[in-house]
Amino acid sequence: MKTDPTFWLLARASGLTAYILLTLSVLAGLILKSRPFGRAVKAASVMDLHRLLALLGLASLGAHGTALLLDRTVRMPVAGLFVPGSSPYRPVAVAFGVIAAELMALVVVSFSLRRLTGQKAWRLLHWSTYAIFGLATAHGLLAGSDSAQPWARDLYLGAAAAVVFATAWRATYRPSRPTHRARATQAET
Amino acid sequence: MTYRIVIDGLACSGFGDCADVAPDVFELDSHGKALLRVGTSSDPAVLDAASACPMGAISIEADD
Repeated sequence: MKTDPTFWLLARASGLTAYILLTLSVLAGLILKSRPFGRAVKAASVMDLHRLLALLGLASLGAHGTALLLDRTVRMPVAGLFVPGSSPYRPVAVAFGVIAAELMALVVVSFSLRRLTGQKAWRLLHWSTYAIFGLATAHGLLAGSDSAQPWARDLYLGAAAAVVFATAWRATYRPSRPTHRARATQAET
Repeated sequence: MTYRIVIDGLACSGFGDCADVAPDVFELDSHGKALLRVGTSSDPAVLDAASACPMGAISIEADD
């Protein structure tokens, strides 16, 4: 008897969607600090986008896990989604995804709790976003059944290149500041 | 042009971009929250500081 592929297809699509949303959220977060568009784009708007993308990414992760539980192709137990290494399917590669997902949930929730945890603790935790992105990329490449496809490899390569470039940009360039002369000119007008 | 600056203390999350952009106008307290050094300023950098705030916690009013 042939297995219904609906949930397997949904699991793959939601996993890729979550990865794309995570990548875009990371890029928005990096733009937030490096501000390559200057005053043309308000930081508060980028912040809203950054948070929205992260929340949508988490929702996609929820869909990814739910579809894997309902699918009969890999027969994922509930523990496999929450306990790293307990998946019968590619346990190490899935563990990367489990850790990334749990850390991502923690980072998203920590934003709302930053008044309790303090700003420094929140910032430290936020640095784990780089680990989350790395783990999610490794998970997609090693656990994803589409990874052998050229389009999928291009997707992971493009996402990694974009994040590396945006990180290097942030580390190298300071946001543009008005010079004293420009300030004086603006003040006079 | 003089700018009147108001910080929404509830919205401020201590990113510190304002003090980075306009250090003559903004400073951070021991918890990392933004404080005003002055109530008004003619430095247009305050506009950049308001635009740079990720929480939109800085509002500026221009007086002629």
